Amino acid sequence: MEALAAARPRGRRWRDVFERPGVLASVLISPAVVFVLVLVGGPLILAIGLSFTNATSGELHGKWVGLANFRNEWSNPSFQHAVWHTFQFTFISQAIVLVGAGLLAHALSKNFRGKWFLRFLILLPWAAPLALSLMAWKWMFDTSYSIFNWTLVHLNLVDKVDPPQYLAESKLAIGSVIAVHAWRILPFALVIFLAGLASIPKEVDDAAAIDGATGFRKFWSVTLPLQLPIATVALLFGIVFTATDMAVVYILTQGGPPPSFSTEMVTTWAYKTGIESGSLGPGAAISLFLLPVLAVVTILMLLFARKAEVS
Amino acid sequence: MESFGRALREKGLAYLIVGPFAIVLAFPFYVMFITAFKNQTEFYNPEVTPYWFGKDSPTWANATFLFENTQYPRWLANTAIVGLCVVAITLVLALPAGYALARLAGRVGQSLGVGIFLTYLVPPTLLFIPLFWVITQVNLQNSIWSLVLVYPSFTVPFSTWLLMGFFKTIPKELEDAALVDGASRIKTLTRVVFPISLPGILTVVIFSFSLVVNEFVYAFTFISPSENKMVSTGVYTDLIRGDLPEWGAIMVAALIPSIPLALLYNMFLDRFIAGFTGGAFR
Amino acid sequence: MASSDDPSRREGRYDRRELIRRAGVGAASVGFAPSFYGPLRFKDRWLKGDLSLITWAHFVPAFDVWLDKTWAVQWGQKNDVDVKVDHILNTLLTARSQAEAAAKNGHDIFFNLSPQPQFEDDVINHNEIVQEVTRKVGKIGRIAHKASYNPRTKKYFGFSDNFVPDPVIWRHDLWNGIGLSPNTWDSVRKAAPKLKAIGHPIGIGQSAELDSNMALCSFLMCFGVFIQDEKHRVTIKSKRAVEALKFMADIYQRGETDEIFGWDPAGNNNFVYSGKGSMIFNAISATRTPEDRGLPFANDLWIWPIPRGPYGRMGYQHVMGSWWIWKFANNKAAAKKFLADLEINYQDAFMASKFYNFPSFPGAMSFSRIRKAVATDRHRPIGKYGVLTTIAQKYTTNPGHPGYANAAFGEMFNKFIIPKMFAQVSQKKMTAQEAVNAADREIKAIYRKWRALKKI
Repeated sequence: MEALAAARPRGRRWRDVFERPGVLASVLISPAVVFVLVLVGGPLILAIGLSFTNATSGELHGKWVGLANFRNEWSNPSFQHAVWHTFQFTFISQAIVLVGAGLLAHALSKNFRGKWFLRFLILLPWAAPLALSLMAWKWMFDTSYSIFNWTLVHLNLVDKVDPPQYLAESKLAIGSVIAVHAWRILPFALVIFLAGLASIPKEVDDAAAIDGATGFRKFWSVTLPLQLPIATVALLFGIVFTATDMAVVYILTQGGPPPSFSTEMVTTWAYKTGIESGSLGPGAAISLFLLPVLAVVTILMLLFARKAEVS
Repeated sequence: MESFGRALREKGLAYLIVGPFAIVLAFPFYVMFITAFKNQTEFYNPEVTPYWFGKDSPTWANATFLFENTQYPRWLANTAIVGLCVVAITLVLALPAGYALARLAGRVGQSLGVGIFLTYLVPPTLLFIPLFWVITQVNLQNSIWSLVLVYPSFTVPFSTWLLMGFFKTIPKELEDAALVDGASRIKTLTRVVFPISLPGILTVVIFSFSLVVNEFVYAFTFISPSENKMVSTGVYTDLIRGDLPEWGAIMVAALIPSIPLALLYNMFLDRFIAGFTGGAFR
Repeated sequence: MASSDDPSRREGRYDRRELIRRAGVGAASVGFAPSFYGPLRFKDRWLKGDLSLITWAHFVPAFDVWLDKTWAVQWGQKNDVDVKVDHILNTLLTARSQAEAAAKNGHDIFFNLSPQPQFEDDVINHNEIVQEVTRKVGKIGRIAHKASYNPRTKKYFGFSDNFVPDPVIWRHDLWNGIGLSPNTWDSVRKAAPKLKAIGHPIGIGQSAELDSNMALCSFLMCFGVFIQDEKHRVTIKSKRAVEALKFMADIYQRGETDEIFGWDPAGNNNFVYSGKGSMIFNAISATRTPEDRGLPFANDLWIWPIPRGPYGRMGYQHVMGSWWIWKFANNKAAAKKFLADLEINYQDAFMASKFYNFPSFPGAMSFSRIRKAVATDRHRPIGKYGVLTTIAQKYTTNPGHPGYANAAFGEMFNKFIIPKMFAQVSQKKMTAQEAVNAADREIKAIYRKWRALKKI
């Protein structure tokens, strides 16, 4: 924009300025940074401010209470459980996604009949509007109409009156929620991996072939190390998107089922406290709890990714 | 002979891996399809198999209901418009930023890159209230342009990262060659780098568009009137009435954007893989 | 609850002649009510402008059509106001209201299915509207009063136009087969295992959702357990509570299935629609849908009041329609008049909602009129909807009874502490006493917080 306009030749002096990497860099980066800072930074600072107050509905400010909100929630068993569930939810679903997408990407790098169609099927969860595909899952898990139970009952494997309840039994509920979340993230991770695989220069491929490295050996000593940086970033994004996401749990279980509330996450708990009950201050505090944890995870993983980068 | 056996084994292995995944990932869409065209009385009858139609199905009744009783076509249009605008803005902001971070920035750039990324650590369920205030200040409430304004805030950071990674894979030699030939940095950017970054651009298009289609919290907070809603919020808020979702109509509504989008993404995938492997590295 | 049998002066639907006639009557009556608007403010031009409302997507689509295309349009024409009505799914109303309250910008009139005491400082004083409607049709009903009035500040923080009585819906054919009926909780407890044995268990939800909250709190009241008292002190810890928990746990263990822990508001409905469920706690959406969809047992679904417990028969309303006008609303005068007129003419709303919406001001449509109307419903058994008036009159009270609805009660509700308490005992994760103690601790903490904020 501004940069390109100024770049029209107007004399050596202007152009020289933009030849300096630093200046050009800041000019290229600043629109993005400014935009994001204004739209996210401002509200973020406000939210941080809110978490130190006892603000309730209708106000974006309140009386200063220092760390009281954080302390209260920290000692609240519901919050503690929510934290643990969030860890479970995030790491298990991302492990599934990592392994699944990695395998798929490798398998899809070859050519075979029907590949295009199969890939289309795999991309569907990602293409569908999330709220609507979750309604489909809700129906598939329905306590009365679940297609899974219909099948199991007709195969005489479960009792018709008391079949498994995917959203009503503690362990099944968290399992279902994890499975659905992995289902929706997998195509997204797959595409990132495919990009990574495709960016491996052909020379490396050829070199590996000459060396006789094929199949698993090739995967382990060539593909994997080259994929590591991008896999790390994919995993990182997966973790962040999962830990801060509420849609799957909200639509499928609303944080239930009682009494364990095994699918209550930090995000849903923050929502119930802050939005539905109107305790904005404590709600903000709960939401912010994830921030330092995820920040640390982010920085660690990025450092790892940088190290793993093969120049 | 041996390589033929190996090729066969590899192909077989590929089917063995890809097949089950494809079935699991696409199965809900099969359920959607059946539900979308099933007579709603049959739908509630547990005797009728959920895997196929009963004697009163398939029927167009659900699709008719959707198109006659809601503003579904407008929702599709709104989503498309917002999607395209957001993709455009994202590219304008993220392409230069991604390039800068990949090539020019050095240590400050690295920290900045991480900084941009940290914006994802805050859930939208916390930000939507102050953001709604911002929207009302610029008088964009109830308008789809409020979303065009806000969505890049989460498509840009991710796209910047994608492009940064992508630009790093382009050999520096290409640009150095252009620079040696006397082109300015800016010219190098526009004449050499951006054209061969088409695969990266396509990736950003897909990712940003999918983020737009799936977003819910801001879409439903900023926009109340039915005619301005997006697909996900419109269907979810207008077709679920208290304790009665209109299942048939909802499933029709879910299928209509999914299939074309999946086809589109698939085509883009081909293009950008071809771009990677058939492009500048030979 | 005062049920004034003010014979309603208006009947029938609006057609053009009627409209003009009413405009005349309206103008005349307006001249007699200067204390409401003040003589100067009654010129038409003061009302010119816009009015925006947001409300839920009503379970009965015809009601929304009536509200948007008939009532709002005609009222708008008569009062020279352009009325716009938006609808969203009810579960999302709260989030949107929070955003509007914080941004001080949004719709003029907001709606939710329960009163929102936490917004008291952001809304106008609705006393005027209540007074005007009282003048025209009689006093506000007791439960609407308790639900939308703050005795401390003497302010109506919301205007309730309707509530929905909460009956039990049960399969007469199945219960008949075992020779029982859900008249008392004792008979329910006896029937449950027998019904489960024939493959048709009952379902009283213990899930993280609204229906379960209502059902279980009502169940507690039948056993003499109240979550708060008139002074809004937490009173859940009691011997009776322990008894009630054990009672319900017994019903679950011998007569229900696990699905009752995983429902959402549509869950218990599906339980009935699949033909499996033999009794649920739900508003009449559970009978209307089988009628509309032609499900085979629609005529076997009976509607009864909540079963009687040792301390009586009492339940909460299923939902209570509550409107409020933000302080930042642009057109407060029109907003007030809109709500007042809506309630005064609530007959039309009642009929349009297929008997779902009962007026909060009983005088707006007297029970005798309601009974006449429901008698015209042709679904079997004939007159089945008549019991709703009995429930509304005798067996319904406001959430928070005997106290008023308040933000602390609301938070306890939103966190599903009561279903959690019941589930812990039903699933044998805690003894009844432990569960009561735990719930008591949790609820008291919430009340402490809101009391410190001076909101109770």
